[in-house]
Amino acid sequence: MMKSLKAAFIGTTILASPMATLAVNAADLTIALSNQVNTFDPHMTASVGSDLSVLSHIYPTLVLRGADLELHGSLATEWKLIDDNTWHFTLRDGATFSNGEPLDAEAVKWNLERVRNPELKARVAGWFTLVSEINVLSPTMLEVKTSSPYPAFVAQLSMFLLLPPVWASEHNPVTETMSGGPYVMDSVVPGESIVLKPNPNFFGDKAEFDKVTFRTIPETGSRIAGLLAGEVDLITGIPVTELDRINQSGQATAGAVNSTRSVMIKFNTTVPPLDNAKVRQALNYAIDKEGISAALFNGLAQPSQCQILSENYFGYNPDLKPYEYNPDKAMQLLSESGADLSQPIPFDVPVGVYLQGTEVAQVIAAQLADVGVNLQINEMEFSVYMNKYLQTKKLAATSLLAQAWPTIDADGLLTLFAPGNNYAYWDNADFGAALEEGRSSTDEAVRLTAYRKATDIMCDQAPAIFLYTQPATYAYSNDVTWTPRGDDWVRAFDMHPAK
Amino acid sequence: MKAFFSALLKSPSGLAGFVLLSLFIAIAIFAPMAGLVSPIRGDLMARLSPPTWTGPFSPGAHPLGTDEVGRDILSRIVNGSRLTLLLATTAVVLGGIVGTLLGIIAGFYGGIVDRILMRLVDIQLALPLMLLALLVVAALGPSFVNLVIVLALTSWIRYARIIRGQVFALREREFVQSAYAIGASTWRIMLRHILPNVLTPALVVATLELARIIIMDAALSFLGLGVQPPNPSWGRMLADGRVYISTAWWIVTFPGLAILLTVLSVNLLGDWLRDHFDPKMRTSR
Repeated sequence: MMKSLKAAFIGTTILASPMATLAVNAADLTIALSNQVNTFDPHMTASVGSDLSVLSHIYPTLVLRGADLELHGSLATEWKLIDDNTWHFTLRDGATFSNGEPLDAEAVKWNLERVRNPELKARVAGWFTLVSEINVLSPTMLEVKTSSPYPAFVAQLSMFLLLPPVWASEHNPVTETMSGGPYVMDSVVPGESIVLKPNPNFFGDKAEFDKVTFRTIPETGSRIAGLLAGEVDLITGIPVTELDRINQSGQATAGAVNSTRSVMIKFNTTVPPLDNAKVRQALNYAIDKEGISAALFNGLAQPSQCQILSENYFGYNPDLKPYEYNPDKAMQLLSESGADLSQPIPFDVPVGVYLQGTEVAQVIAAQLADVGVNLQINEMEFSVYMNKYLQTKKLAATSLLAQAWPTIDADGLLTLFAPGNNYAYWDNADFGAALEEGRSSTDEAVRLTAYRKATDIMCDQAPAIFLYTQPATYAYSNDVTWTPRGDDWVRAFDMHPAK
Repeated sequence: MKAFFSALLKSPSGLAGFVLLSLFIAIAIFAPMAGLVSPIRGDLMARLSPPTWTGPFSPGAHPLGTDEVGRDILSRIVNGSRLTLLLATTAVVLGGIVGTLLGIIAGFYGGIVDRILMRLVDIQLALPLMLLALLVVAALGPSFVNLVIVLALTSWIRYARIIRGQVFALREREFVQSAYAIGASTWRIMLRHILPNVLTPALVVATLELARIIIMDAALSFLGLGVQPPNPSWGRMLADGRVYISTAWWIVTFPGLAILLTVLSVNLLGDWLRDHFDPKMRTSR
């Protein structure tokens, strides 16, 4: 009875809101997504740029990463480390989901347990394998114990969206939503658009837009055209050469910031000739990273400093210098290595995912041809590539890959190269030991030393050609303001209507 | 031959098609001797340079501009034409041989053979050709040989249908019956008496197919399933350049023109051929 009354109430507010919109001529916002939203279950996706960005309007989080890339409280007002393995979170009092379910410590505990349940096979389960115990001390006080120190835990929680427990047990979260965040879902056209309306019951700051639309526009040219035509307010993933044109139009502001995504040529070090460290180093010498950045990205891409971490990562090693561009040295190393280079080396290039990725791939192939290494480019869909990478485990000898870790911590990103990791295709025990050392402590100095060691080893052994940090290009219309950011979050509550 | 050319001279559109196509073939054949810069090695610093004639005069450089990694577009179009024409011709010849043979067999034997072959044709016609091509390339992987096979596969049915109809009429004719009567083998009748009489319609189909296959190759390359980079291909140039269409129009315009003119010339010539060999049109001429 109670539930149906509530449902009726929500129904009337939704019906009433279009009239209110007309009355105050309020601000509407349209955000373009490059990829469509694949699921509404926030525990079944880790795609920040599409699924999680949209769902973060619907479901609350304990903490949020702001435009300054720092963590800010959301449902949690305060959090502290009691000892190396124990976290305490203080939650807001009286927060609820739209259906009236309390948004308290009990609900957070239920969510953590949901993803830790092996039967669910949650996509994000790996984030919380270190969590060993979750205790509700009071409705507003949560205690989480970890089996070993987990310094990136709070950062990881900024991507962990909370479902209403009772509702989720009666509904299918993959296809339905129940809001506890600043917006509620109004209408959905799968693969096309998702329209959001403000949630009047949200515990935090009031929504500033009366209608937020996420539109899926995969084609770059169409996204730019949409922005210039005033149909879209925010777009990302624009080739750098188009930025000037957008700025000159006077309709929008375009630019680029450093993202957290490091672009590399990934080596499969289990196959010849990439099992030879000299060959791997030689290939690093053969690529003109500065030149690629200057010519293809107008200097907006930061060349990698012989590591996959960029400056904004915790654990960035400031002492490393990139392999200089020296084709002669490359050729000398190649002849010393004794590797057989008579056969072309396969070079897999996923299309449509990385900014100007196919251009970069062709330049790499041309520069390596100059030192006598012939790459055979194979372009493929990203899903096909990932399937080779992780499912069939037959990664090509070389491939174009960009990796990032949303907690912006060396612990996450470097682990992708750890011995035994599915992503690694590289087996270096010293590197693995250094990572273990970094994870075993919450003391920043200890961790920094460990990651310095790890990045030194990685630079020298070169399990990849370190290229550049992918620039995060963006453009937003003059109707809104937004702080550009290098992680992939695109959120209405980070934006404001222009005065 | 002389009569053929004098007839061609009388048709402006046919002549235009013939001249243009010959020109393209000549360019494709003699491209390596033209001393063009490499179509594969680019100059990164000269990326997205506009065609030289649009700016202050500077001889030599890049007559049609450079693409998104600094490669000369003229060189890529010319070298791409070699690949495109070779691919299309091989596919047309292969599809033509298979289609003509199966068409003759179906028409000559009739009955169950004919029914099986024609149902096969019906089944394939019911599949969208592009989808079929995509499936095969996705399964076998993109390579020159696979592309030829795929394109020939989408093409043989057209020959088979038309040739079969022709053979149905031919096999009742007196010269075939008399060959039978003096005891010629079926293979001999098919190859010596029927094949020469169906070559003309096959040739007409071939020219029209050539145009279709060039377009299809461009479409497959556009979708990334054609010739793999960095080798030049017209469809691929369109696909790569479309992002820059508003800032660097030359990347897509010239390969687009190359496709347009080639297909147009083949179509003009094909139309004229069809009219030329069509007895009904001949009486009206």
